Amino acid sequence: MASLFSRAPIGQRSAVNEGALTRIALVLTAVVFLALFLIMPLVLVFVEAFRQGAGAYLEALKEPDALSAMRLTVTVAIIAVPLNVVFGLAASWAIAKFEFRGKNLLISLIDLPFSISPVISGLVWVLLFGSHSVLSPWLQAHDIQILFALPGLVLATMFVTFPFVARELIPLMQEQGTTDEEASLSLGASGLQTFWHVTLPNVRWALVYGVLLCTARAIGEFGAVSVVSGHIRGKTNTLPLHVEILYNEYSFVGAFAVASVLALLALVTLGIKAVLEWRYGNQLASGHRH
Amino acid sequence: MRISIRNVTKQFDRFPALGGVSLEIGSGELVALLGPSGSGKTTLLRSIAGLEHPSSGQILFDGEDVSNLSVGQRRIGFAFQSYALFRHMTVLSNVSFGLKVRPRKTRPSRAEIRARALELLDLVQLGGLEGRFPSQLSGGQRQRVALARALAIEPRVLLLDEPFGALDAKVRKELRRWLRQLHDRLGLTTIFVTHDQEEALELADRVVVMNKGEIEQAGTPVEVYDDPATAFVSEFLGTVNTFQTTLNDGIAEVLGTEFPVADADPGEGPQRRHGPAIAYVRTHEIELLSRERAEGIPAIVRAVFPFGGAIRVELAVEGYDMPIQVEVPRAFFEAGEVQVNSGLFIRATNARVFPQYN
Repeated sequence: MASLFSRAPIGQRSAVNEGALTRIALVLTAVVFLALFLIMPLVLVFVEAFRQGAGAYLEALKEPDALSAMRLTVTVAIIAVPLNVVFGLAASWAIAKFEFRGKNLLISLIDLPFSISPVISGLVWVLLFGSHSVLSPWLQAHDIQILFALPGLVLATMFVTFPFVARELIPLMQEQGTTDEEASLSLGASGLQTFWHVTLPNVRWALVYGVLLCTARAIGEFGAVSVVSGHIRGKTNTLPLHVEILYNEYSFVGAFAVASVLALLALVTLGIKAVLEWRYGNQLASGHRH
Repeated sequence: MRISIRNVTKQFDRFPALGGVSLEIGSGELVALLGPSGSGKTTLLRSIAGLEHPSSGQILFDGEDVSNLSVGQRRIGFAFQSYALFRHMTVLSNVSFGLKVRPRKTRPSRAEIRARALELLDLVQLGGLEGRFPSQLSGGQRQRVALARALAIEPRVLLLDEPFGALDAKVRKELRRWLRQLHDRLGLTTIFVTHDQEEALELADRVVVMNKGEIEQAGTPVEVYDDPATAFVSEFLGTVNTFQTTLNDGIAEVLGTEFPVADADPGEGPQRRHGPAIAYVRTHEIELLSRERAEGIPAIVRAVFPFGGAIRVELAVEGYDMPIQVEVPRAFFEAGEVQVNSGLFIRATNARVFPQYN
């Protein structure tokens, strides 16, 4: 802290350095803000979860509906994330390595889920597959259930988490250009060998990073999933939805216990993310942006 | 391997990068494609490699049309300006990549691949560095790894895009000499692209000077340097002074001496013998004469750069806007005649005169 308070002589101060007072004020503001809006709520989640002791906490987690919500959340993520990885790789490959018409439109479309409200992201599926939709008679005739079932949850989650992998890969792939691929092809490698041995390793850490963000969002998504879920206990409730139901039923320990699981998952994600950024920051697209 | 380039054109979106280029390259030749940026030299090299597909025309390897073969099928060794080493692989893996990706039937055994890669690393004088990653190597070492990697597939021709472009001056010269030795040892047909005339003239058997997507002149370094076929080549090679002059029955006056117009390109029909012309005089083609002889054109010394064996002098001459650059032997400078603001006489000993069209 000594350097923070010591006032450097005018002649030695760099042009972009502020005075000690300004620096203290800035740091304090940031710390107070973080404590109020991030750390305190997080601590509260755990305090509330353990309010009636560890026994009640574990009891709330072992409850069948809670277990079912965890299973469902994991199932949704396991389906949605790999599909988005395939899509993200294909889209960024196309955008970064080829020139074609409508490229900018495609980039904007990929960003669309970020810019629209999650409620809309859910509602589109209701409009598409709901009982008043054009597809409804056909779906009913073939006994296919999309809304208020796993397919609907997966679709809504995929829609919302769709940009994470692509957004992470596109800038990096664009920056790397195509010479590595050209070198590989000139050495006689096939397109698939080139993708597998050259392109993919070049973006591997960015891909891991994208998958991580995508997974975190898939697990935590509330809005879009809420619209298509139907809130059938033990059947179509994911973890975030389950927290809401428990809370509305004044089952605070249950709600916060389940919420603590989500919070823990978030902390683990944050940890892995920090490690990735620290170790492979130069190979991540976001590392270049900051 | 012989390479024939027949009337190759390449259009990028409507912008022509190559406008009908024809060139024969003999087996074992070391050829430089020399030109300013945007001259189409890299496009031509990439077309030979198969990284670019010409809009029209043919490319033949030993008489066989390869125009429709992909880059992988052509068996060429390509070294990229940025080296394009695979950053996540060791030097050894980089060099053996071309052998490892072969289909099982033609792929050598693991031990053979390793032995071959190590042998190549010895050839490029990088023995012992096989375990390093590209980021742990200097620029010159990376370029040599890239060459070893290209040589591993036993290419029929070696294509180098600005091979020394990203290196500092000293390493450039070393690597240039080393590449010449390597070429003489392997006897592989080699084509390299450069914008550095010194590099092209010193290294290549034949220099192909390109401008605006066309070949201006192809010939030995001495031919293109001493007998530039076009105004562009005259201006591009060496350090030249440019003079506006007038042709009178095929003769133009440059710095008080008369010179005939350059021979016309046989393909272009009769040369114009009257009217505006442009003359190029190299810095060593101007003589400085001492005051006593009172010949030539009076000039005043504006600046002297007394470094090296030849001294560069900048002179002002009445009637010329640009200072005239002259190189004189050191002995002349040491005789004490050349001093800033002193008066002298100068005379052109040689000039290349081209009629000015447009």
